[in-house]
Amino acid sequence: MKPALLAALIASALAAAPAPQPAAAPPAPGTPASPAPAGTPPATGAPAAGTPAPGTPPAAPADAPPGATPDASDAGTPSSAAPATLPPKVDPKIFDEGLSLYFTANYKEAARRFYAYLEAMPQTDDNYAWAQYFLGQSLVKLKLTHAGAYYLARIARERSNPEVVPRALEGLRELIDKPHDETMIDEQVFAALDLGFVGGETGDYANYQQGLLDLRAGNERWANTHFTKVTEGTSAASRSRFAVLVTRLKDAREINQELIQSFWELGHDTKLSLETRNEALLAAARLRYEKKDFKGALDAYRQVKLPALDPGQASLYLEEAWTRYNLGEIHTAMGVLTTLDAPSFRDEFLPDKYLLRAMIFRDLCHYLPAKRAAKELTRKFAESLEAIRERDDLTRDLRMVRAASSIGPTRRAYRFYEALQLEGENLGRYAGSFGDRLYGHLNRLYVLAVAEAQRVYEARLRDSVRQEADKLVRAAEQVRIMDYEIGLKLYERIKRGSKLVKEVEEPPLTPKEAGFPFDGEYWNDELRDYRVSLKSRCIEGGVDQ
Amino acid sequence: MKGFCIAAALLPAVALAQAEELENPGRVAAVQERVYRMNQELSVGVGTLPLDAFYKGFGPQVTYTFHFSDTFAWQIGRGMYSYAAPTSLRQQLERDFGVLPTAFETVQWMAGSDLVWSPIYGKTSFLNQSVLHFEAYASIGGTLIKTNQNFRPALDLGLGVRLFTSKFVSYRLDITNNVCIPLKFPVVNILNVPTIILSVALNFGSPE
Repeated sequence: MKPALLAALIASALAAAPAPQPAAAPPAPGTPASPAPAGTPPATGAPAAGTPAPGTPPAAPADAPPGATPDASDAGTPSSAAPATLPPKVDPKIFDEGLSLYFTANYKEAARRFYAYLEAMPQTDDNYAWAQYFLGQSLVKLKLTHAGAYYLARIARERSNPEVVPRALEGLRELIDKPHDETMIDEQVFAALDLGFVGGETGDYANYQQGLLDLRAGNERWANTHFTKVTEGTSAASRSRFAVLVTRLKDAREINQELIQSFWELGHDTKLSLETRNEALLAAARLRYEKKDFKGALDAYRQVKLPALDPGQASLYLEEAWTRYNLGEIHTAMGVLTTLDAPSFRDEFLPDKYLLRAMIFRDLCHYLPAKRAAKELTRKFAESLEAIRERDDLTRDLRMVRAASSIGPTRRAYRFYEALQLEGENLGRYAGSFGDRLYGHLNRLYVLAVAEAQRVYEARLRDSVRQEADKLVRAAEQVRIMDYEIGLKLYERIKRGSKLVKEVEEPPLTPKEAGFPFDGEYWNDELRDYRVSLKSRCIEGGVDQ
Repeated sequence: MKGFCIAAALLPAVALAQAEELENPGRVAAVQERVYRMNQELSVGVGTLPLDAFYKGFGPQVTYTFHFSDTFAWQIGRGMYSYAAPTSLRQQLERDFGVLPTAFETVQWMAGSDLVWSPIYGKTSFLNQSVLHFEAYASIGGTLIKTNQNFRPALDLGLGVRLFTSKFVSYRLDITNNVCIPLKFPVVNILNVPTIILSVALNFGSPE
């Protein structure tokens, strides 16, 4: 339990801050980085949606960039030819047209005009960076976030127009809460560029990212020079403190009370997002658990706030159940385990759940249910255990993959990969309105991004799946021991005149409480409140051996 | 023999219950803190007296209730004014048959006090998006009814449901029947005055 908890603590604490992409790893054997997602827009060579069918007159205005000279129009050309042709000449007024379309919220047409302008104009043009900015923002508004971020990141890196750079950085900062390209935005922009001239929240975020990079490189002193530049009292300042604490925790030989207290205080820092506050509280709870301060740990677990009707995290419930078990609150611990059977957590990978249930049943001398609960683990994970024994490729085991994809960096990589696939599918909707050139360009951009995201995800998956497999093997081992123990207990002889142990009275409901008997229907607002009433069958006075 | 047959018939059921207890021991319940608890309540509402064939009463009602616990309360004061809107039947009787308006006994106002017992507290799901809490209650008490002819004491029995929207605001629907007690024996002149009241209730103070 202890190494598992500590590993979980560090993994989840690090999950609060974006992690660096791993160095280029070889692709998984037998898993080519096939980028084409379901519903991917037509590949090069296929006619685009906006292309007229053979025999029909070409609908020139649909595909030609507005403002293009008639001789340069590529309307009616198959999309395969479009990227290879020279960009059409355009009237510089197309930029103003794009602006007016942007400010009237016609982002599809605006994006098309800005792209035509960018293709036709040299990078030294006064409005070039502005066109990139508005193209990026138009794409973000059309929910093509990665494509939008690509243009905003280009502005930040090229720095051709100092007026546009702060706006582009601000635009990028607004994208970081969703799944995003960590290498392109966090590492290559915020962490790598000298952004001393940028102030406000964006400047704070840049300093935070740069400090984070130094922390990961193991240089806390350099990191602190960046963190001290972060405005005090902002969310970036709180996140910086959290990052420093996590790093100290990783390096700490012994967990001290001060560290726990720091996590506890961060858990109540309202400037942090709810998710990060909860991570800090979980960290405090896990550290207290390690120190065997179960009461304090339970207090921290109960402080974790969930949004209304949010089912919460399975790991939170399982850890709370262990804590309650260690406190001797076995009925409530069993109630928490009932929560983990809810449909929201049915697919969660929680081998410990079966072990703890078996231990509770054993403690109350319900040996048959204990035996069954223990066997449930080996039954449920039979295929995965078999795959581990046979040394199969675990990235093909669906259950293991699902478990590995739900934690830490792998989870982030998977979410970004999924988001890219979705955006790639959405891009198809704009095939007609974007025109061949912009559509073809974005299509290639997404195909490459999906391939890279898949590669990163698979590399992280291989590591995570190994960790999950270790967890499963350890649990299976303990279950076997438990099964043996219960087998011995089942055949113990009871002494003559023995009596059942005195029943521990359950606390009655107080006037403040309301009880809702459970009939198999899970309500999200009740998930933290289940209580099991289970009589002990243990015999007073022991048994004959 | 008869006893043996009964035992044989009951045995499978008992064995089944035992087996179930062995397989899935224990009972599970969700024990939660009551989200909504009442203390001192002031409610303002509108209601109707719908039953009388000769007129329909409409009017406002104000109540003040003290809650001793989550299940028991005393509605200390309740007052309702009623505006009587004559029905077409009454108009026809007055117009075509010369019946005097004073012949119709109409309620002008009423005031009373009740004991309230609310054994049901529950919650329900609204479109799988939110949880609504409610309670249902019964009330019994006395009412003094002022009609256009005289004062009449009455015994009232009611049922109601309350929908909580916050710790301080809830909505009530009360359906009450006031049974007027005949005073001039042996003339039995029982008058039923049912009311339907929809009101908004404000909760003050802490139940602790």
